[in-house]
Amino acid sequence: MEIMKNITFLTGYYGSGKSEIAVNLAIQKKLDILVDLDIINPYFRSREMEKELDKYNIKSISSDMDQKMNLDMPYISSKIFMPFHDKSLKAIFDLGGNDQGAKLLRQFDDYHHHDIDLFLVINIYRYESSSPELIIKLINKIEGMGGFKVTGLINNSNLIRETTINEILEGEKVVKEVSEMTNLPVIYTTIWEDVNLADNLVFLGETLKLKLYFRKNWL
Amino acid sequence: MAKILMKGNEAIALAAIKGGIDAFYGYPITPQNEIPEYLSKHMLDLGRVFLQSESEVSAINMVYGAAGAGKRVMTSSSSPGIALKQEGISYIAAAELPCVIVSVMRGGPGLGSIQPSQGDYYQATRGGGNGDYQLIVYAPESIQETIDIMKDSFNIADYYRNPVLVLVDGLIGQMMESVDFDKPVKERELPEKDWATNGTINHPGRRNVANSLHLDPYGLEQHNIHLQKKYNLIKENETAFELVNMKDAEYVIVAYGTMARICRSAIEMLNEKGIKVGMIRPITLWPFPEAAFDEISEKAKGILCCELSMGQMIDDVLIANNGRHKVGFFGRSGGVLPDPEEIVDAIVNFKDKVVK
Repeated sequence: MEIMKNITFLTGYYGSGKSEIAVNLAIQKKLDILVDLDIINPYFRSREMEKELDKYNIKSISSDMDQKMNLDMPYISSKIFMPFHDKSLKAIFDLGGNDQGAKLLRQFDDYHHHDIDLFLVINIYRYESSSPELIIKLINKIEGMGGFKVTGLINNSNLIRETTINEILEGEKVVKEVSEMTNLPVIYTTIWEDVNLADNLVFLGETLKLKLYFRKNWL
Repeated sequence: MAKILMKGNEAIALAAIKGGIDAFYGYPITPQNEIPEYLSKHMLDLGRVFLQSESEVSAINMVYGAAGAGKRVMTSSSSPGIALKQEGISYIAAAELPCVIVSVMRGGPGLGSIQPSQGDYYQATRGGGNGDYQLIVYAPESIQETIDIMKDSFNIADYYRNPVLVLVDGLIGQMMESVDFDKPVKERELPEKDWATNGTINHPGRRNVANSLHLDPYGLEQHNIHLQKKYNLIKENETAFELVNMKDAEYVIVAYGTMARICRSAIEMLNEKGIKVGMIRPITLWPFPEAAFDEISEKAKGILCCELSMGQMIDDVLIANNGRHKVGFFGRSGGVLPDPEEIVDAIVNFKDKVVK
């Protein structure tokens, strides 16, 4: 079982599945805080899960504005610094996609000495993260823009409801290659709850079973 | 290309590229911004034009100009932005120029909200612009269907020399689905654009003019008669719809786009309860699939029109039904998406939903 650091930043290509993973990790790893730093998307942001997270005593921090669910304004609450000042807290930060989303890491420039991981979520079925070369290019851009080094990879390769073992394994091939080229460890391989797989399959890193919180059954 | 995972707005942009778009003109608005964002990234590399104009009004008039020059042009916006474009749209329809307009609907009226809605049915099918004109209006329910329609839309626009409006709501724009871009589109023999205002080199001595001004009343009436003939041809050839579970259906739902997706789940739940419910899903909103209503069993107890608006498509449902069956209405608006259970309730308590 992976032990989470005090601070985990989740980054990745736009639409790679960061928010689903952030909510799942927060619940499964019993974290204290989920911070939504997505100022890019208007819908499907982790702030929508505030009530769900409440049930598990997980605090959500995003914007302090009224109507924060229904606004796409780039306002972020100053409470996001809370987990840096109370080391008893464990927090996961859900960033917006790409280097544009990683730009928000610059506000943590003074906190590099903290206990921090920056994980890159990879779905090779998103067109700009389909090959090792494209993924490494993305890592460089994110690190350049955000000022933090990526410390681990998450294989989240899927085609949503059409996912089979083949998609996960195709993703694993690409992610493994990235891992070998960059010396970055693969931390998790995600398996969507609805995908039927034999229990004895072993993937790179810890297997993280995902519950789909954002996707209603008619979607 | 194998299956990939795409967000609706990105898919619309890539499908436009695959459909042969030459130029895009637009102004940003949520929830459709990923369309211009994607095109701004890729159009120049392809040697095509991307231009963010200073307003919606300029964007649609740039579309007018470039379409007049015979190019394949597109603009996209969301509800209040489409409202601003209405004057230009009427001019383009009057001048019989082909173009593609994408509207990713959000809650209204006015500035409304940024959440998904279907409140622009009237805007799309009745027009906010002046005069007797029609747009060919598509209302896909999935990203795959949106892609297939987008790829074909430039051909349809060119074939009929008429604007095509692809109408989706914010949810389809923002959600992700696995999609295939390689499905073939219908082959159409496209006429030469000998009307294009691109110089006289191909027809020395004849100047082409794109225009919507006809000062002679008899001339303008002839133009209107000509347009109506074209619209009748479009009605005959392009009306599209899907029938779901219609055989012996006790109730028939009429719904399009995201609402149709929700209704699909509701229909399954109702069938499990032993209530047979079918659905007419218009794929074209104009022309509205009136013929589909002949497929409703005489014994049917009623038709339920479901919308993410306060009752707009119901006008067309009442016209198409022509007094044959009881018609009920269920709608949510403002950006609220109902759960399938609410549709189930509406069918179970149909008598309370009947419109007078």
